[in-house]
Amino acid sequence: MDYQHQTIMDLRKQLDDGTCTSEELFQTALDLAKKYQESDNSFVTITPEFKQKKSQSLLNGIPYGLKDNFSTANILTTASSNILKDYIPPYDATVYKKLKQSGAVLVGKTTLDELAMGGTGTTAHTGVVRNPWDEQRLIGGSSAGSAACVARGIVPFAIGSDTGDSIRKPAAFGGIVGFKPTYGRISRYGLFAFASSLDHVGTLTRCVEDAAIVTDVLKGKDPLDMTSLENEDLNYYEHLHDDIKGRKLFYFKETCDLENYSAEDEEVIAVLTKFHELLDRLRKEGFEIEGISFGKDLLNAIYPSYMTISCAEATSNNANLTGIQFGPRGEGSSIEEIMFDARTKGFSELIKRRFILGSYILQKENQERLFLNAGRVRRLIVDRMNKLFETYDGLIMPASGGIAPKFGERSDELSERYLLLENHLALGNFGGFPSITLPMGFLHGMPLGINLTGRIKEDGVVLTMAQKIEDVAGYRGIVAGDQNV
Amino acid sequence: MIEKEKLQDYARKLMFEMSDEEYTTLQKEFDIILKQMDLIGKIPNISEVQPMTFPFVTYQQQLREDEEAQEGVLVVSEVLKNVKHEVSNQVKVPKVVE
Repeated sequence: MDYQHQTIMDLRKQLDDGTCTSEELFQTALDLAKKYQESDNSFVTITPEFKQKKSQSLLNGIPYGLKDNFSTANILTTASSNILKDYIPPYDATVYKKLKQSGAVLVGKTTLDELAMGGTGTTAHTGVVRNPWDEQRLIGGSSAGSAACVARGIVPFAIGSDTGDSIRKPAAFGGIVGFKPTYGRISRYGLFAFASSLDHVGTLTRCVEDAAIVTDVLKGKDPLDMTSLENEDLNYYEHLHDDIKGRKLFYFKETCDLENYSAEDEEVIAVLTKFHELLDRLRKEGFEIEGISFGKDLLNAIYPSYMTISCAEATSNNANLTGIQFGPRGEGSSIEEIMFDARTKGFSELIKRRFILGSYILQKENQERLFLNAGRVRRLIVDRMNKLFETYDGLIMPASGGIAPKFGERSDELSERYLLLENHLALGNFGGFPSITLPMGFLHGMPLGINLTGRIKEDGVVLTMAQKIEDVAGYRGIVAGDQNV
Repeated sequence: MIEKEKLQDYARKLMFEMSDEEYTTLQKEFDIILKQMDLIGKIPNISEVQPMTFPFVTYQQQLREDEEAQEGVLVVSEVLKNVKHEVSNQVKVPKVVE
């Protein structure tokens, strides 16, 4: 088997039996990163120097990519924004520190939507990230480069962040596995904040097993992140093959029942047909799966509530980007003029629009109607989910209503397809629920993802159920360009 | 449609400028976003719900020990490496007080 198809455990075996060395793996990954940089644009920075601390971890010697919004001491960290284009952090994010201690080897810092605020992978200051399955299509974002470099087979895993669906959506469009564990399971220290109450750290891999292995290394209480969860004596990797018989799942009938769509929604119908076919196969393996009515009003309100909360938090979180303490210094004769110039030149148009929206939401006259109401919707949704989790072990849904869009294609942003099928994953962030996307099939040669969301702190149960889904779906370890999938 | 002057006022408070063309795009975007946001208000009895600001309830954290706090302290000289104008270990900016 070639390097690009190998999982962490495949590589581990070769490293342990001496078939290859970590230097050789790094060199292979580096060559691939350079080879595909022009077509995919996965990386902001490729780190050409082999640096490794040896350890007993399963990740010892394994190459990986790290999203460029995690602080790495002495390595350029831009968040794909002009306002940080020359920023070299003085400290390490906890995630990076843990990966160094585990002996994993950094290949590069991956491209994202500017400041992680976007879902297309098209807004980085270094250009668009293209989908390795079809260069005419986007891979989704914001963890675009992390998804693309794993889908391409450059590295077996990459780290991402997820505020609305920024790991799980690009994973779906790239035919890989994207896992966002429970809020606080992995420390956020050193992750550039987008919307602190929704930000999660997670993994992009080509199989569920690798997601478990990497999460085992990264999880744990961090004194530098007061929201990180207490250590639990759990090893997700060891429990992946636990019995799932009798596990109960639900899906939203409003979104997934075929009779809700007309014949012209051809793509959605094709996706849902594949979804229901897979559910039938999962039922045969012991899952109990039912459709439930969640309420269209609540489902339609997920996306606008997400936009309201995230833009408001982002506006405040990014107020420190002034070009004075770091970033390109603006021109002017006063501090105000300097900041104005730096922020005007440093942010792209999209980011400015998001900030203005955030500011609008936070104006005194709009707070009650928008900001507080969004928080109220958030509570209603999370309460309803927690009530359902008293009966069910997980929510199972298509990750998207279609394949990765072509560049320039626009959705009708007021349509129910857009509001319900393209943006429902944010409810995983509202409640901090562990949530994973994995491949469920193909349409027009492009991958489709299925998503599973479970109870808070039950990351192990979600991974075990996902392992079974992966076994049944049969798309473990695929790489862009694979035939006969 | 939301007035351009209002948007300009928000941009000024956020300390950046935008072009006329960008404001036109933003006005159109606001039209869609405000329609989407109307969906939030349509939920029955929404005003009676307590807003949620955090994913789930966590217990009160204990204050950390000083030794651990020391661990995360940044070295001034390292921090100042990113500053474009630095004098005597301080960030240099135009005079604030005449």
